[in-house]
Amino acid sequence: MKQLLCIISLLLWGLTGRSQDVQSCRNVSLSFFSSAPLEDIEAKTSQGVSAINLKTKAVYFKVPINTFQFRKKLMQEHFNENYLESNKYPHAEFKGKITDDVDLTKDGSYPVNVEGTLNIHGVEKSYKMNGTITVAGGKLSVTSKFKVRVADHKIKIPSLVVKNIAEVVDVTVAADYQPAK
Amino acid sequence: MLHFRTLFALLLFAPAAMAQNNLSDLFGKDSVNRQPVIATFKSTRIINGHSNETLKKGELDFRVAHRFGDIGGSAGGAKTFFGIDNSTDIRIAFEYGITDQLMIGLGRTKGSGNFSQLYELLAKFKLLQQTMDNRVPIGVTLFGNAAVTSMKSSPVESDAAHFSQFSHRLTYTGQVILARKFGDGLSLALLPTYIHRNRVGYMDMNDMFALGVGGRLRFSHRVALVVDYFLPFRDQASKDYFKTRGIEFYNPLGVGLEIETGGHVFHVNFTNSTAVLENQFIPETTTSWLQGQFRWGFNISRRFSLGR
Repeated sequence: MKQLLCIISLLLWGLTGRSQDVQSCRNVSLSFFSSAPLEDIEAKTSQGVSAINLKTKAVYFKVPINTFQFRKKLMQEHFNENYLESNKYPHAEFKGKITDDVDLTKDGSYPVNVEGTLNIHGVEKSYKMNGTITVAGGKLSVTSKFKVRVADHKIKIPSLVVKNIAEVVDVTVAADYQPAK
Repeated sequence: MLHFRTLFALLLFAPAAMAQNNLSDLFGKDSVNRQPVIATFKSTRIINGHSNETLKKGELDFRVAHRFGDIGGSAGGAKTFFGIDNSTDIRIAFEYGITDQLMIGLGRTKGSGNFSQLYELLAKFKLLQQTMDNRVPIGVTLFGNAAVTSMKSSPVESDAAHFSQFSHRLTYTGQVILARKFGDGLSLALLPTYIHRNRVGYMDMNDMFALGVGGRLRFSHRVALVVDYFLPFRDQASKDYFKTRGIEFYNPLGVGLEIETGGHVFHVNFTNSTAVLENQFIPETTTSWLQGQFRWGFNISRRFSLGR
């Protein structure tokens, strides 16, 4: 009986401890930039979500494709309808892990490497990227820039518009986290 | 004791594993799907009729619509190169998005029916947009236009085109466009319509209601089949009278292919109606598919994004 109590208390401690280990953000800013000979295209959203587990260093990002805002609305329509097919594949999702040995419970600024799988347009691909995690007052904020090759995710660019859309787009991410409830 | 150890191990590790995998569970199934459904139709027109789509803020749409002569029947065949030699109606227009919901347009139409040489002013307002989560299951758009003819008044007093005052030159359309996109490939629209013509011929109707239906079936990213059909509610008495004069009214039906090439939307279509404007093709179509009186037509839309 004593053992059982011990287990239960351990378990409870484990659970409460763990929920404090997770920080989340529901307004992740994401933007991408495509630079091609004929035009530069930029789109932004601030409706991404993310969570980071400080102990396991697991990282998670998800963004609804149809929230990306373009300056030209017709482009936004083409992006959703013809390229990303957001009806079929509504989200882009990243599941990964921080590979560096950093202590995210201590305040400071840490350059980190992240490895994981990015799913765009229903196609998964492994990525290694780097970013910066800043911890202030125990709260995380993250910035990262990385490149996505559109062909890697089976996003087809018709030859008619190859000069308008870059083969590789630059993605920028910024998020401020709060302890998850 | 072994029993306890496994239990202990399980209890200890299970939550750890869970916590790692379930970062995604923090967010459940929320978000996406408040978003409006986009591209129910690719253009602001289905074929003859309007779709629920409007231009976005700052967009200028240059439109050309053309209807050729009868392919078959007495006016068609090889001698007119299956109608290509004739044009029954031509419309050239500029339309502009004032906001993402409101657009206006100014067009010049050759005209086919009672009047020719028409100038049209139109406004279209997106009242409701269907949402991905079906909280709003259909889109609702309002459309209205006024057309004025600049043609010379007919000297024959009983003619519809005899204008003893300016207001006789005016016709109007009011329309509610209800549309829904079903999944990725199919969109349907229902278009209750009201046409008012200030001046009409004897036994014709100044006010006419009509019900339109339209649809778009997508084959690929860039090609779709489009169809629209209008059922005008003309009085039996009016129909009977015109029949005695050898004129019969038909319901306009359009069938076409919609081809999108990024910026351009191109329609190649067949219609029995000769006119392009609602004000004319709904109440004044007297040509029938079954008598070879259908024609090639095209709509070209070129959209430009102006300003920011």
